[in-house]
Amino acid sequence: MTFGKYIREHREVLKAEDRRFSVRQVAQRIGVEPAYLSKIERGDVAPPSEAKIRALAGELNEDVDVLLAMAGKVSSDLQEIIRKRPQLFADLIRQLKSMQDHAILRIARDVRDGDW
Amino acid sequence: MIELLNNQLTFRFPEVHPKASCRINFQRTLRIPDDNQEYPLPPGLGCFPVAHVDDFADKLPATWQTHGGIFIPMYQSEALWINFSGGYPCAVKIAAGKINAVSGKSWSNGLSDDPQDYAVIPDQPWLDGFNVSEDYIRQFVAMPLGGGYTAEEQITDKAEHGGLQIIVYPMKHDVYVEHFEGLVDTESDFLEIPAFLSKVCEESPDMGLAPGGLMRQTISEDKYGIDAWDQDNDRRCFIHLANSVQYQAITGHRPPHRPATAKEYTNAGLPWFDYYDDSKALPGSDALSKLTSVAAKVIEKGKGHLPDNDPVQPGIIKIVSKENVVRDGDF
Repeated sequence: MTFGKYIREHREVLKAEDRRFSVRQVAQRIGVEPAYLSKIERGDVAPPSEAKIRALAGELNEDVDVLLAMAGKVSSDLQEIIRKRPQLFADLIRQLKSMQDHAILRIARDVRDGDW
Repeated sequence: MIELLNNQLTFRFPEVHPKASCRINFQRTLRIPDDNQEYPLPPGLGCFPVAHVDDFADKLPATWQTHGGIFIPMYQSEALWINFSGGYPCAVKIAAGKINAVSGKSWSNGLSDDPQDYAVIPDQPWLDGFNVSEDYIRQFVAMPLGGGYTAEEQITDKAEHGGLQIIVYPMKHDVYVEHFEGLVDTESDFLEIPAFLSKVCEESPDMGLAPGGLMRQTISEDKYGIDAWDQDNDRRCFIHLANSVQYQAITGHRPPHRPATAKEYTNAGLPWFDYYDDSKALPGSDALSKLTSVAAKVIEKGKGHLPDNDPVQPGIIKIVSKENVVRDGDF
C-alpha cells in the first residue's frame, strides 16, 4: 500500500466517527494546505517532510517509524545513530534481517528510563 | 543502553569504549539482627527476580509507569544487597527513595566529590546498606512506604518515591586508555552466584528501604578522582520494590519464598563473610548516621519488637578478597 492511500484510509476511518478528521481540518492542524494533503493522499505528489509525517502520525495516532518507512524515509534520530557507527549498524541490520521478531526484541530491548 | 537478562542489569556505553559496561543485580539475603551489634557480611541467596514495569503497566501504579524501569518483589522487612561486577571502571550512584545511600543527600543527577556520593566499580563489589559511619553500613531492609520507617521518610518527612534509583557513569575513554589499555584485560565476572532461590520473584505495592542492622562494610574512596568519570554519558534506572504479597497478582508468578532467618542460617552451620581490601574508606554520612533503625522504630511506635531479630553469633566467617569475591550461601 502506498503512503498516500494508507493515510487516506486511516483518516477516513477516524472521520467516520469524528468530523475533525476531514482533509481540511487535519491539514490545518499539521500546517499544510488542504489541497496539498489531498494530493499526498492521491499520490499526486511525493510524501511530505519528516516533520509533517511526524505531525500526521500524531494526529492519526499512527506509529511514526511505520509512516516514515512507508514514505521511504528513515527517522533523523536513527540516521544520526547510524552515522556515528555506520559499519557496526550496517552489519547489525544485515545480520538481523532474517531473524524473527521475538529474537530481535530480545536483543534490542532496553530498560526504559522515565521521568523521576 | 540498559539490558535486563537473567535478572541482571547490564549498563553499556559503547559510545565511550567497546568495553565500557558494568553489571548489577539484586541479591536476596538474610536480614541481620538489628540490635546495634556489628555483623559480618551475610550471604547471597540468589538474585531477586526482576521484571520490566512496561510489561505489567496496567496492573501497576501510574507513577511506576512514569518512572519506567523495573521492579522486584520483596517481603516486608526482607533485606537485599546490590551486587556489582565488570572490568571497566564505572562510578555508580545509588539512592533509596531518592536519598543517596552514600552521602545521605537528596537525589541529583551528576556526581559530587564533596562529599563523595558514589561508589566505584569494580573496586566496590557490592553495597549492602546505608553509609552510616566509616567502615559500617546499616542494612537495606524493605518496609512499606507510609509507615515512617524508610530513610526517605525519616529524612524528608514524605513517602513520595520509594524504591531504588541507580545511575552509572563510565570512566572517560582517555582516562581508561591511560590507565588500562595495554595491560592484561581486567574483565572478570566477580560474582557468578548460583540463583538458588530464583525460580522466578495492602493497599499499595510500593515499598522503600529502611536502615536495618549494623554491618562491617567499607565504601571505598574514589582513587581516580571525579574528573575520571564521563558525566556526559550516563544510564539510570528506577528499581521499584513491589510487596511480595501483591507480586503474584501483578505478574502471575510466585515470589521467592521468604529467606531463612539469621538464626536459622547460622544454626545450620553456614558461613558468613568478611571482605578485606586496602582501599581508603569514605567517612559515614551525618544524615544517615542519625536514622532510626527498623527495630528501634518498631519499639518507638509501641508495636512490640521486630520479629526474628534474635542476636546471633556467626560461627563460620569466610574471608573474601578482591581475587575471590564470592559470598554465596546455599540454604
